[in-house]
Amino acid sequence: MVLVYSMVSFFNPYWMEKVIHPAAYNLFYLLSLGGTLGVFYSKDFLTLFIFWELVVWSSMFIIPLGKSRRATVVYYGISTIGSFAMLYALLLLNVKYGTFEISTVINKLSTDPKMATLFFFLIVMAGLTKLGIFPFYTWLPIAHGNAPHTFSPVLSGGLVKMGGFIAFLITAVLPTSKVFANHLQILNNPYENYILMILGAISIIIGTLMAIKQDDAKKLIAYSTVSNSGYILIGLAMVDQTAFAGGVMHVFNHAMASAAMFLAFAAIAYRTGTTKISELGGLIKRMPVTFTVYLIAIISLAGIPPMSGFASKWLIYQGLLRKGNMFIAFAAFFGSVGSFMYVFRPLAGAFLGQLSPKHKDIKEVPFWMQLPMLIISGLTILYGVYPGLMLKYIAKIQTSLNLPAIGVDGTKILTPNGMWDSWTVTLVFTIGFIIATILYFVLPKAKSVDLMDTYTSAEFIHNPDLYHYSSNYYAPFERLYKNHPSVEKFYDAIALRFKELGLLVKTWFFNENPAFTVFWISIVITAIFMWGDKI
Amino acid sequence: MSTFLTATGLVLLAFFWQITLSGIQRKVTARIHRRVGSPWYQNFIDLFKTWSKSSISHGFIYDFGVLMALGGTIATLIFIPAGHIVVFDKLDNFFVITYLLAVGSLGMAMSAVGSGNPWASIGVMRALTQMLAYEIPYIMAVFAIIYANKTASIHAIALAQQGMGILGWNMFRMPLGVIVGFISLMGMLGKKPYDAPIAPAEIASGPLVEYGGKHLGMLMLQHEFATFVEVGLFVNLFLGGGTLLAFLIKYFIVYILATMIASVVARFKIDQLVVFYYKVPLALAFIQTAIVIFTGLG
Repeated sequence: MVLVYSMVSFFNPYWMEKVIHPAAYNLFYLLSLGGTLGVFYSKDFLTLFIFWELVVWSSMFIIPLGKSRRATVVYYGISTIGSFAMLYALLLLNVKYGTFEISTVINKLSTDPKMATLFFFLIVMAGLTKLGIFPFYTWLPIAHGNAPHTFSPVLSGGLVKMGGFIAFLITAVLPTSKVFANHLQILNNPYENYILMILGAISIIIGTLMAIKQDDAKKLIAYSTVSNSGYILIGLAMVDQTAFAGGVMHVFNHAMASAAMFLAFAAIAYRTGTTKISELGGLIKRMPVTFTVYLIAIISLAGIPPMSGFASKWLIYQGLLRKGNMFIAFAAFFGSVGSFMYVFRPLAGAFLGQLSPKHKDIKEVPFWMQLPMLIISGLTILYGVYPGLMLKYIAKIQTSLNLPAIGVDGTKILTPNGMWDSWTVTLVFTIGFIIATILYFVLPKAKSVDLMDTYTSAEFIHNPDLYHYSSNYYAPFERLYKNHPSVEKFYDAIALRFKELGLLVKTWFFNENPAFTVFWISIVITAIFMWGDKI
Repeated sequence: MSTFLTATGLVLLAFFWQITLSGIQRKVTARIHRRVGSPWYQNFIDLFKTWSKSSISHGFIYDFGVLMALGGTIATLIFIPAGHIVVFDKLDNFFVITYLLAVGSLGMAMSAVGSGNPWASIGVMRALTQMLAYEIPYIMAVFAIIYANKTASIHAIALAQQGMGILGWNMFRMPLGVIVGFISLMGMLGKKPYDAPIAPAEIASGPLVEYGGKHLGMLMLQHEFATFVEVGLFVNLFLGGGTLLAFLIKYFIVYILATMIASVVARFKIDQLVVFYYKVPLALAFIQTAIVIFTGLG
């Protein structure tokens, strides 16, 4: 998390000029960094809550520095639900046990399953709102899509993962599998955890389907964050040997991948001024470094070996298989295969294909902007080839939580269902690639031609913009779920009712017409008169 | 060293066996259409001919994608157990193979879109959509097998089936699963009702529209290797693998059956295809998995 912040801060100097209040941006940026750190190190719930709110507040002021003011309202509105639920739970605990200390509270809760259930749902609400799990996911695309380009990676890589920390705290530190052991079990999970898993599964499916539809790359990545938060939540809610390790690892992997993707598009926006996929195209020729970074990030995000994203997703699958959670597994597989579709859309639309004439003269971004992207990509590859480096720490966490630790042996990950040796796979892949390369260079040399020099059904083409297939990329597939039900509409309806209520109150109490004042005065006088001597 | 030799042997086996079968497949299709057809070694001729011809290149990613496609598919191939030939025992995890195969597909998709031809983009779009359609029912059917066997290793699953004679095959223990598996296999191979991504008369062969010469030859080779991986996976998972000879016979039957079905049916539109896969095979796969998980049968 700190890593994401520090990496992104390299980008900041370049963006400063474009932000309206640079000083304010800097201040809030540092505040939110401090807050995030505070959340991870806090020892009692009250401190945690204060740092939590610090982050919410500072990020609330950063988001409107981007494009839209409404984004902040939505973000803050949804955060408030979580914060109030958490505050209520904390005060409740304090009244009952008289302490905020995390370890004491957890100990007392362990012997009190009824209270623990209530506490579980109230606190986890805060985690869900931050992670962007269904039904609280609506703020992610709005806030990520409209935040300043440099803040989106932080939102996705840092703030969202704070929700993951809360989910971790509540499912594992409070040992749910023991506390809820006597409760109704669904497919070997306590029903409380299973509810979380179902919410995670719904988020995966919604996130995937919505991401496939987006034309704005930042919104697309935001929806992919919704989907990946679902994986994190499922992994954490399983609280077992493999899937839990996968969930914790996925927190880091997804932070890296989505930060790299957001940074790549921040770089594109820096040069071209747009993040709309349909307005871009062919940028690989002009920005090869950004392309490489994006490619590595999507390979990791889609969970293709040998990048780090594969290891964590694979661990989550193993856990699901072991317990036979078929419906959750369906969502997990759907999200995984669906992610090929949505990560490919920006790749094809923005980086490959025809270069638009209006982007003919753009250059690669400056070195200090490339550096953070390259470091993140390097880490993605490193943890992909040596997942043991990270899993070692996760194994320690698991031991301290009395879970069976994940088996790691150098580059091998051992699970009851089989093992994964990233080093061998990488090696074999390299050998395969070398064979192909040798074959390529042995065969006759190819003649280099221009991108416009293609098969055109014998027609004459002259406009690269029109000859680039990027808008409505998945039209036949999108058509299948065009009329989907949506929570947004429901929320909008609620918001509308709320506004109407406000208008009602306004017309009755704060009207400009003196007649209303006279009316209320007379009502009050009448009321007093009727009450009379009874008071 | 012995690992290296086995791996080389496996790649050579796949090369000769699958390209021969591709030739036979053309012959079978021709006979069903009442034509004479090309000789069985025609695909070897095609392959070496394309390799010797001149070709064009549309830039770095166009070349790199082809290398990534072929390299990734060769790497995947090495993990497939073929009868006795098991290169990496215990490492032949189902998910590893499925996702490694995606490296090849990603390379090909990148290369095709990198050519700048919109037909290629449309073809890739269709291929990815089709992948979402067939992959989910297939994985759900395999989910039941892995759950029942408590291992995701392909070789271990194949061995577990050989212990109990012919009725021990997953084909008979999970009859709904094998139907799903076969329908999904047809989609994976891009055989006829499911060949929307390459539809030659509609979108000029889709992703392959720009290729010629050695690029085309390498992608043809990649396609043959990918076919070996897909059919080999099916034979190991549902038909119990067996000795090398048994493996090849089963392989032959499955592949020719798929060809025969493909030669008499028409093409699905891409959205019809998604709806079909999510209606019939997915429902069957769910029923099969539920039977295995909740009743322990199979």
